[in-house]
Amino acid sequence: MKSILKIALGIIAALGGFLDIGDIVFTTQAGALYRYDLLWAVVLGTVGIAVYAEMCGRVAAVTGRPVFDVIRMRMGFGLGLVALVASTFVNVLTVAAELGGLAIILQLLFDAEFSLFVVLAAIGLVVVVALLPFGGIERVFGYCGLLMLVFLATAIHQGPDWGEVAHGFVPSLSDSKLYLYFVVGVFAAALMPYEVHFYSSGAVEEGWDESNLRENRLNATVGYALGGFLACVLVVVSGFLFHPVGVDPTDLGTTALPAQGAFGETGLLLALGGILFCVGGAAIDSSFAASYNLAQFLGWEWGRYRGPRKAPRFTVSWLLILFAAMLIVLTGINPVEITEYSVVLAVVALPLTYLPILMIAGDRSFMGKHANGMVSRTLGWVYFAVIVVLSISAIPLLLMTNGGGG
Amino acid sequence: MKTRRRRPGVTAGLVALGVSLVLLSASGCGDLSRDELNRGVESLSALAAQGELIANGVARDATKSTYTRVMAKTLGGEAEHEAEKLADAEPSPEVSRERDTAVRVAGKLAGLYSELQTFPGDERRGALVEKQMGEVKEEADAIVARLTGEPAP
Amino acid sequence: MKKEGEIFVVHRLLDEQILDSDGKRCGRVDDIELRGNPPRITAVLVGEALYPRRVPRRLRRLARRLAGPERWGASALRVPWEKVEAIDAALHLCCKAEELGLGEGDDPERWMVRRLPWN
Repeated sequence: MKSILKIALGIIAALGGFLDIGDIVFTTQAGALYRYDLLWAVVLGTVGIAVYAEMCGRVAAVTGRPVFDVIRMRMGFGLGLVALVASTFVNVLTVAAELGGLAIILQLLFDAEFSLFVVLAAIGLVVVVALLPFGGIERVFGYCGLLMLVFLATAIHQGPDWGEVAHGFVPSLSDSKLYLYFVVGVFAAALMPYEVHFYSSGAVEEGWDESNLRENRLNATVGYALGGFLACVLVVVSGFLFHPVGVDPTDLGTTALPAQGAFGETGLLLALGGILFCVGGAAIDSSFAASYNLAQFLGWEWGRYRGPRKAPRFTVSWLLILFAAMLIVLTGINPVEITEYSVVLAVVALPLTYLPILMIAGDRSFMGKHANGMVSRTLGWVYFAVIVVLSISAIPLLLMTNGGGG
Repeated sequence: MKTRRRRPGVTAGLVALGVSLVLLSASGCGDLSRDELNRGVESLSALAAQGELIANGVARDATKSTYTRVMAKTLGGEAEHEAEKLADAEPSPEVSRERDTAVRVAGKLAGLYSELQTFPGDERRGALVEKQMGEVKEEADAIVARLTGEPAP
Repeated sequence: MKKEGEIFVVHRLLDEQILDSDGKRCGRVDDIELRGNPPRITAVLVGEALYPRRVPRRLRRLARRLAGPERWGASALRVPWEKVEAIDAALHLCCKAEELGLGEGDDPERWMVRRLPWN
């Protein structure tokens, strides 16, 4: 009974923590531009992250190896280094995007200089990590991220034509390059690899073994399905309000407007709070993912539970990554643009970290009877094909659409 | 020391290529085409639509003043930027009149946003700005309709 | 896995994580020393100095310039095969990391992290 409660709580935390600035930016823009037409891409991406996370969690539980341990083992030093450099670059950009998002929300709440809030947000993250016990951090951010449910209430209040909404789940392609760019963006935003790298390292830190496989499966299926549901809600809400009048949500604050329209100031505050905690949690996850990756690849001692004294290089690299991200935001590039680049480049780098996991998850000499079965293997390879196609088309689409600017 | 020398012909060719590229891009950015103008006006219309929603919150007293102020500052800045861009560009003759209208609309939009920024808690003004934002959006849409030859939505 | 007998060197040994007798992570197997005929593993080698020769041939010069021993002052450490106790999901040593000079990068004194509040 206790374990069911624990799993349920974990799933709730995962639901609150699923959305990050990439999801928020891309779903809101997709809704504004194409109404409900891109809902299917959200689903595609959500199933993708569920497949990837389930494999990584299973590998971590059975072999005790987190993602970049596997990458160094399977790909060797040279190719693994390429994966490491690419992932670290994308991760730093992601941390910058989340930090920038935090600063925007703080600015909307307290109206002062943007750069001041960037610095405050970075300091705030260090303080939170220093003071809160690690297990608690994810829970706190996850539960508070549930404030995003205000968007579900907004959708119900708006009362869109649900038949039209349902139609959006049918995949459709168009020869518009901007549409294709958003297919890639919405998919990639749901399948941000840092979430999975963070998840698998956490599983190793918590000493998962084969008895955790059920929890892993539930996290990946139920947890991510609920998270993906919330992302769909954002598309619907934005599609309902913004699409007919032609609003182009280039600012993060615009995302909160539908909640304000439905529930006034309370709705606005709930929405801003939800975004704040989602983005804050993602800033912590992505920055830790970056230092996990470095430490695992290079064989350093690592782990949030160990503390800086036992894992100094890990801690110092975490601080440096946060600092680098802060500098990027302080250059004054619009955080929404940083977000778009981080999401699109993440899908470019994804095959390099996805393939070794797929290989080891199917390798009986490592996984024994927990190796990929028929379903996991098929899904795994189908998604590998999808990821490769999107990864190849991502950069040309980014350039041709002028970064989604049309 | 071993250095690789390019033949002078190649160097001259490269320089010529570079110069012509620079000239080409410089000449390109002065001329405001129908398409570019259209895109600019469309983004004005989008900004006005967003302004209408924000002003609606002010009119109903259903928002937080810091939110309104910061959003108005950001979006007003974008409107102003768009106004400057349109004003600085050298329009091709067939769209020069529409360009002037667009600059006027952009200026009006920036003005409305600055009013929101100054009075984020004034419901009466909010209602007025909401109405005017709607009018600005209609004007922008009308320009788009004239430029593309399609009726305004 | 027993350490005697045959082992797929590249599959199961190269690039493996090394843990000392306290379970502390202290580097990865960056290279392997083989001697004799038929060759037997005599030691595993660890250290940043070995990274340049692990990258593709064309990039080695650049790698050496960026990360080689001249720049970082790193030298490779030799872990004699007798010190290896077992190999499963990691390579376990039967002694402490400090005895072999491993894991010095994670010396807290070196990073001044002793006073950080979340120890």
